[in-house]
Amino acid sequence: MFGRLLFRLLRGNRGRLAVALVAVISGSAVISALLNIELDVGRKLAQEFRTLGPNLVVAPRGGIQTDDAGSASATLMDQEAVWRGIAQTHTPDSVFSAPYLYVVGRVNNTPVIVAGTQLQPDLLHPAWKLDSAQKAPPRIPGWDADTELLLDAHSAFVGQNAARRLHLALGGRFEVTYMNRTATLTNAAILDSGGAEDDQILAWLPTVQKLAALPGRIQFEELRKDGDAAEITRYAKRLSAALPAYEVRPIPQATQAEANLLKRTRLLVGSMVVLILALTALCVLATMAALAMERREDVGLMKALGGGIGRIVALFVAEVGVLGATGGLIGCAIGVVLAQWMGRQVFGASVAPRWEIFPITVVLMTLVSMTGALPLRLLGRVKPALILRGE
Amino acid sequence: MFARLVKESFIRNPRRKALTAAALIVGMAVATATLSVALEVGDRMAREFRSLGANLLVTPQSDSLPLQIGGVDYRPVNEGAYLNVSDLGKLKMIFWRNNILGFAPFLDVPATLSGNATTHAAGVHTTAVHTTLIGTWYQHQVRVPDGTTFQTGVRSTHPWWKIQGRWFEDSASEAVVGSTLAANFPGGIAPGQTIELTSRAAGSAAAPQSIALTVTGIVQTGGAEDNAVLAPLSIAQQLSGHPGQFRQLFVSALTKPADALAQRDPSTLTPTEYDRWFCSPYISSISYQIKTALPGTQVRTIRRVADTEGRVLSRISTLLWIVTIAALAAAALAVAATSAATVLERRAEIGIMKAIGASNSLVSGIFLAEQLLLALVGGVIGFVCGAALARILGESVFGSPAPLKPILLPIVLGIAACVAIIGSLIPLRRAAHLDPAPILRGE
Repeated sequence: MFGRLLFRLLRGNRGRLAVALVAVISGSAVISALLNIELDVGRKLAQEFRTLGPNLVVAPRGGIQTDDAGSASATLMDQEAVWRGIAQTHTPDSVFSAPYLYVVGRVNNTPVIVAGTQLQPDLLHPAWKLDSAQKAPPRIPGWDADTELLLDAHSAFVGQNAARRLHLALGGRFEVTYMNRTATLTNAAILDSGGAEDDQILAWLPTVQKLAALPGRIQFEELRKDGDAAEITRYAKRLSAALPAYEVRPIPQATQAEANLLKRTRLLVGSMVVLILALTALCVLATMAALAMERREDVGLMKALGGGIGRIVALFVAEVGVLGATGGLIGCAIGVVLAQWMGRQVFGASVAPRWEIFPITVVLMTLVSMTGALPLRLLGRVKPALILRGE
Repeated sequence: MFARLVKESFIRNPRRKALTAAALIVGMAVATATLSVALEVGDRMAREFRSLGANLLVTPQSDSLPLQIGGVDYRPVNEGAYLNVSDLGKLKMIFWRNNILGFAPFLDVPATLSGNATTHAAGVHTTAVHTTLIGTWYQHQVRVPDGTTFQTGVRSTHPWWKIQGRWFEDSASEAVVGSTLAANFPGGIAPGQTIELTSRAAGSAAAPQSIALTVTGIVQTGGAEDNAVLAPLSIAQQLSGHPGQFRQLFVSALTKPADALAQRDPSTLTPTEYDRWFCSPYISSISYQIKTALPGTQVRTIRRVADTEGRVLSRISTLLWIVTIAALAAAALAVAATSAATVLERRAEIGIMKAIGASNSLVSGIFLAEQLLLALVGGVIGFVCGAALARILGESVFGSPAPLKPILLPIVLGIAACVAIIGSLIPLRRAAHLDPAPILRGE
């Protein structure tokens, strides 16, 4: 009987119900799209912070020492040990690292910093620009243009300032002298880093180690761990435990600023989403209440026929509840599509649809709709005759 | 007559109007709040990004190749070019002077640090360690050619440097020691001690200079400066024999993310485009203005900072505008739905009016006038609530409330009016075409 009445109610008032349904669908579409975006925004923005570069450093206890002759002092690290420590503790896609050994060598009798390293610039230093296209022969040996990795003992990236002052042409060979040793390098690419590397020459680590007669030694290792401040600190602790002989330090410029900025952004986006959620819920409430208020005469009639106010109100609450649930479901589906579009506009990549939003939105919409109908209960006290008269 | 009808409708049925009004107020409040935030957030977040420190580096154009590892220059002082401190005031005279938030000059001098070290074995003796004396400003008053002064220093360009103790006074013989150096120096270095620094001129005939400094604090930078001693620029100038000069300048400037115009070569722009580029705080136009103001310099963008700022700011701004548009759409739809619902509810009235001979346009006119009035009143209240909301939002996210933009009031009222009218038009149109009799019968 209840079901039959409910069905007839829903069928009978198509015009008004359609309006209410549109309100619920649009409300739930917006809510689910925004919730989807909000849950992902932290992660997506954190990826943008990769451009800041490394945020952790492994250094010998006692810091990084050099004197102005550039000779390596006693504080060096064992490259293998450091690599093993990192390999033990890292997850492949979230930690990138590069070892460094510096010497002050001479090219054409001019002192220049030569950094021995092995790194993938686009992962660790996305702000760097490597230029090999200008006048270089189509294939430079020892350099993989796709991964931008230095592959052999003779290739080097030359910082743009260094290239200009030392007159090192792209693709040309030059000699680096240190103490009595010499290494011949090829200028594989000009590096525009927007930082100190513009004045340096980056060469393959084993070559520089041989030049400095320090096989297997490095001065420090820089790392980038993706994630928020808490994750970075946790990883630093794990790495510290794996490398007790050395010091693992976060780079405060990167970590502090990133943590602060991410926090503010999430707060901002979160507040706006909450605001919109509240608005949408309130408006759905208002629409449903307006709908329910129209039922006053029906309530009066049913009371006059002898129905208890509880059952009557339950009927109308169920009516708006069904409306809310249906609208919620349809709106959610639209919202997922909307979220994908928004994600592509903002981040250039689609946002992963979060399926937990479906039940949340549908339940929210149903509850809000039902709350809208509850004021009908107040009619319980009023005499049916008064209601039917229209007061 | 018309006005009386509208007025009567408000007096007689306030309750029905209340719901539409409520939806309007809430909708417009959220619209105002989100619009205010979206308009302000670009500037606010750009300021927050200055916590990343300097985004520009100024060096002499005809310099020798710097020998820098981790930010410390190891060149001997008699090599390379220098810039003059007296020129720095001109930085606050460029077109974008208000966007120059701070700058700090640096002069690195290779030096030997000697201090009194106590060991438990032999009592007091002196040890000497090779290090670098980095001369800079912490909080220094720069005289600007227009007569004002500007306070600046590493406080603006390197805000992540942490001090234990206090920073040096610019005019005093004080210094701050890097944490690693202080920890590894035999016997340690603590605030209050006196250290002596002797310049190391590699292969130079001049006699090395010495100076005694009081340590006022230990600084932790996370970089190579932890192995060095920082002192006022004047001390480094004295020790290196280059009075009034410095080697490199870090500048922290408030910039706007680069768009298509900013990425083009300025020499290829037409005069109108050039004006637009010059008058926008892109990092490229600020660099150009600095280079023009300080002759003989080369201005480089510290790309890791500038690029990150640009990318994140443009993403945030796009996201916020999309969220704002979503809010406006949600508000508009809700108001439209509520208006439509209330018009539908009053079909009996429409039926009566039509039955006694009112024309369609008169009926529509009365209803639209009601909705418009509601929209205006609701819009104003909503605007006030929204402004309060925006203030709270600004306080909680950025720590200071955003100033109110009065231009939003007509915009919000306009939206409210349009939406209320559009919302009512559709059911009104349908009702106007219907026969009065079925409506009066209750169907």
